[in-house]
Amino acid sequence: MSQDIATIRVTRYRPEKDAKPFFQEYKVPYRHDMVVLDALNYIKAEIDGSLTYRWSCRMGVCGSCGANIDGEPKLTCASFLHEFKGRTITVEPMTHFPVIKDLVVDMQDFMEKLVKIKPWIIREKETPPEQGEYKQSAKELERYSQFSSCINCMLCYAACPIYGLNEKFLGPAATALAYRYIEDSRDQGKDVRFPVVHEMEGVWECTLVGECSVVCPKGVDPMLAIQKTKILGATNAIKSLLMPRGGR
Amino acid sequence: MKAETHKVARLHAILWGIFSLGGMIAAFLLPVMIYLTGIAYPLGLWPLNGSRDPSFLVTGTLLGMLFVFVTIAGSLFHGIFRFQSVLTEVGLLRLKRGLETVGYLIIFVGIILLAYYLLVLNPSLPAL
Amino acid sequence: MEDNKRYPELRRRLSPGWWTANRHYAVYMVREWTSLFVALYSLTLIYGLSLWAMGSRADFLSFLKNPAVVGFSLVALVFTMYHAATWFYLLGAISPVKIGRSTTKPWQALVLNLILLVTVSYLAIWLLVLR
Repeated sequence: MSQDIATIRVTRYRPEKDAKPFFQEYKVPYRHDMVVLDALNYIKAEIDGSLTYRWSCRMGVCGSCGANIDGEPKLTCASFLHEFKGRTITVEPMTHFPVIKDLVVDMQDFMEKLVKIKPWIIREKETPPEQGEYKQSAKELERYSQFSSCINCMLCYAACPIYGLNEKFLGPAATALAYRYIEDSRDQGKDVRFPVVHEMEGVWECTLVGECSVVCPKGVDPMLAIQKTKILGATNAIKSLLMPRGGR
Repeated sequence: MKAETHKVARLHAILWGIFSLGGMIAAFLLPVMIYLTGIAYPLGLWPLNGSRDPSFLVTGTLLGMLFVFVTIAGSLFHGIFRFQSVLTEVGLLRLKRGLETVGYLIIFVGIILLAYYLLVLNPSLPAL
Repeated sequence: MEDNKRYPELRRRLSPGWWTANRHYAVYMVREWTSLFVALYSLTLIYGLSLWAMGSRADFLSFLKNPAVVGFSLVALVFTMYHAATWFYLLGAISPVKIGRSTTKPWQALVLNLILLVTVSYLAIWLLVLR
């Protein structure tokens, strides 16, 4: 009765007890269809109830369970144990974020950036409902559709070394979401969003490392959004130079 | 304070635009430039085998002069601008301001000198 | 971000060697360092032109023939070509074009622009040398 075993190495950090983080290893029964989240849940239920981590939907739509697994930012609910080499898997909290406890990171910085870019439709004037809905063609939808798939999991921030070096950098997800609204034909909030994305720590810090787009679990291409926003910024700046009081 | 930072950001946006243009120049024009002056001429390879020498680039035609100016000025701007960020990414982030100052100084002096030398070597500005 | 928590958060700093952590980062670093060679070659040529402008044409030509300069030019050309290739790839990555049902891929932009590079280079040689 030999059972297949996987070893999960998890970062532990209990600020009330530990001055420094350390790795703790747990042995979990291995099944081919297990994801890392299943392993963490097994550990918490059967071995060590103090292990602390975030999760919710367990199907890759809520964005809660981000972690660095074998060095790569991934969702624990979307990472099968069999994807990784060998039977030992290292799970660490998402890089570039401060750690509150074990695998739980402090998301406050991202939350503030999210609010800053105002992720909602802004209209100069709302038309009353009797006048009907705002119409949008399929082509117009396509311009921003992929960027609306963001689940705010922040894996892109964990992957971005620029954010790791400079916390003030607006970052991939926030810029991609700002771009989503800038490109939405129903939105009229460019005046509000442009100053945010085009400030010094906005898009300009990005040097096209591109890891953000590689790790995104929902197929969003933040690198593309940031580049397009840079181009918008440069053309706007040149326009305002040539036509100071001129057209928009 | 807000208006000031907005101006700086707008200036940076324009500098980024120039950097991008420089990247195009470095990608499309610099290879042939390096090949002609750095490899073909010294080693006598085509098209500079035989009696042709690369001074044609400078004294031959206005086109040659423009080619050298655009290629070198664009590449210099692009290279320095980008290398500044590289340095901040390998541990010199604290020196960002200093690096930027030195960088833009090199770009400014370099381009002025380049224009000056090209004009000195082409006092008559011959026609195409 | 106020720190009203009773216990300290763990803050991890990125070390200057962060880019050695995985292959993507290392490749990115090499790509960015091509800018050094682009800048250095430009400065080298400006220096060479100064030898001519302040001295004689022979000074410039013998500078170009200096084996160290030739060696550096070769290295600079390799890095400049790598810059060009990665630049073309990035151009493709940031401007996907929808043709019918499919979208263009970055490697297609790479191939297209390499062909353009060869064309432009030949044009430059024709206009400047062969004419």
